[in-house]
Amino acid sequence: MPLKILVTAKRVEDYESKIKVNPQGTGIVAEGLKYKINPFDEIGVEEALRLVAKHGGEVVVVSVGTKDVHEQLRHALAMGATRAVWVNHTGPMDQLGVAACLQKIVEKEKPDLCILGKQAIDDEQSQVGSYLSEWLGWSQATFASKEESLESDAEKSKTPAIKLAADGKSITVVREVDGGLQTIESPLPCVATTELRLNQPRYASLPGIMKAKSKPIEEHTPAALGVDMTPKLTVTRMAHPPARKAGIKVPDVAALVEKLKTEAKAI
Amino acid sequence: MQAFLDALTRDFPADFASRDAADLATYGGDWTKVYTPAPSLLVRPRSTDEVSRFLKLASTHGIAVVPSGGRTGLAGGAVAKDGEVVLSLERMRAIAAVDPVALTLHVEAGAITEVVHQAAAQHGLLWPIDFASKGSSMVGGNIATNAGGVRVIRYGLTRQWVLGLTVVTMTGEVMELNGALEKNNTGLDLRQLFIGSEGILGVITEATLKLTRLPDRVDVFLFALDSLQAVLRLFEEARRGPFTIMAYEFFTAACSARLEKHRGLRAPFEQVPSHCVLLEVENAKEGALDPWLGALFEKGLVLDGTLAADTSQARSLWTLREGISESLSATGMPHKNDIALPISKLSVFCDELETLLASRYPGWELCLFGHIGDGNLHVNIMKPEALGKAEFLALTHEVDRDMFALVKKHLGSVSAEHGIGLLKREWLGHTRSEFEIGLMRQVKALLDPKGLLNPGKVL
Repeated sequence: MPLKILVTAKRVEDYESKIKVNPQGTGIVAEGLKYKINPFDEIGVEEALRLVAKHGGEVVVVSVGTKDVHEQLRHALAMGATRAVWVNHTGPMDQLGVAACLQKIVEKEKPDLCILGKQAIDDEQSQVGSYLSEWLGWSQATFASKEESLESDAEKSKTPAIKLAADGKSITVVREVDGGLQTIESPLPCVATTELRLNQPRYASLPGIMKAKSKPIEEHTPAALGVDMTPKLTVTRMAHPPARKAGIKVPDVAALVEKLKTEAKAI
Repeated sequence: MQAFLDALTRDFPADFASRDAADLATYGGDWTKVYTPAPSLLVRPRSTDEVSRFLKLASTHGIAVVPSGGRTGLAGGAVAKDGEVVLSLERMRAIAAVDPVALTLHVEAGAITEVVHQAAAQHGLLWPIDFASKGSSMVGGNIATNAGGVRVIRYGLTRQWVLGLTVVTMTGEVMELNGALEKNNTGLDLRQLFIGSEGILGVITEATLKLTRLPDRVDVFLFALDSLQAVLRLFEEARRGPFTIMAYEFFTAACSARLEKHRGLRAPFEQVPSHCVLLEVENAKEGALDPWLGALFEKGLVLDGTLAADTSQARSLWTLREGISESLSATGMPHKNDIALPISKLSVFCDELETLLASRYPGWELCLFGHIGDGNLHVNIMKPEALGKAEFLALTHEVDRDMFALVKKHLGSVSAEHGIGLLKREWLGHTRSEFEIGLMRQVKALLDPKGLLNPGKVL
């Protein structure tokens, strides 16, 4: 039974960029930053592609933001997503606004399954998946992981870790819990959120990258979707963690032992 | 000897010299595993003055000295196998402040290449000497060997990125060559004599490096191809591409298999292709790139390809290339050669080499990789499991003779970037004329009349 899967592609700062808090302490310095797809979302895209490769169907990728998010949508399309939906919004937004937009898109698209990153690596809020499933009245399989390791043959052969039941009406998801794994089953439609250990996303192939340029990106606006994007949550302060004191070099072992005794009081 | 040792104890700091067996074994060798290190002493000076005083003393007592840096050389240039004193520059690793206007950086010879990169990067600048062993190699060694690496196609060799040198001769003379001057047209440029001299003419203790700006935008591609011919045809296309080439590297399936065995890494293609090309480009013109890429596929030149989406993917693609050398050594015993050919001769040379190996040494595994954009091939012949080490070395000597005859025939070089050191001395005459080698000997005799500095290397 073909599956229709909706995935997200949030635009976030590349974790390889040097992130600096601005002098006012209200946000980060945008200058010189590179951006990429939220790695948790990218894992969601990969899982969706594996599922449709096995069962047939299509993958629709959604992002909310300025036209810059086309970069992330194109990346998902280059990986193999079928088409993209862009909610065009400039200005501040919070997780409630984003989840409300997604809800409206889901109501239009009627997917069997939504796969979202369990969190985004920029604000680390981890809220959108929960709002979405709540408002849709769907169950939520959080923190989807896999039983095998990322070095396993199952991973190398790109087998989906989220398993679809033979009748196509439910999925089973393996989750990481404290000190072990838990397997849960949920009826479709539902929302799943991804853990880092779910899969290793593929590299976009050059033919894929070129094909992605002609794949459609459908545009919506929050206003037309009937969503009020005024944030309820505001970031009031950002700060770096307190700096660690610089280390010192000691001339010899005796001096080290002395300092461990008198200063660090470790021995 | 005793008088020499007494003077050392009297005139130098207590930790200046070491005779510790582990130290001697470590500092007496490099990445060439052919020779057994056997130095008599290790000294580690902290300043140019100490180097000068030490060399004068060694000269007086007729003591042979081997200069040593990060010991990542592959030709035995820093090996002390005959009781020499190893002079390690590792304690001289100071890096001065970057001059962001002159684009210069003054460093001591023991500064690690990668640390120099980091210091320059803080100002958006680059010292563009880059290769897999940058985390261990030292600037002094880079200069003494005129190091190459993965960005030669874009930036040239180390020689082009050195403004000034401080050099100490075996007799203890200290020379400041060219300071920090970009222009200095006053007689013979002696600085150039020491760059690439492999430590036989003098000890480089300090240098003023020339820097350039970091590139704005860099893209890394990996292509899957089905033959060396295709690798060369893709290079032709890349030369005409809408970008500046930063690196053009290739490796064969045999290298990929060893990398997967050792590191568990594989190229992101469905099947392992017979040849992979890593192409790094600067400032690709967005609009023009697509038609260029499209044409590669239309012409059937490439089977598949990928473009790194971010910095971490770019680094992973680079690991597929830079992890090869260590993977070959970790999974077997490679006999390494580093040769250069005119680009136009690469294809016919490789055909002839394969025929040679197949007819004379059937079943031997050939791992080819390298900076093919510079005409530089790393030819690695792996020891067959059944063959003993001594027998293998004897046979590879025969292979070398045959291979270097091919290199000579096609006007290539028996050592593209690894140098001559101990390992390739016998073959120097394949690339340099008798007259040239005679001149080299005279220069050596002028600067080191007793032949005490890095004896037995190059000449």
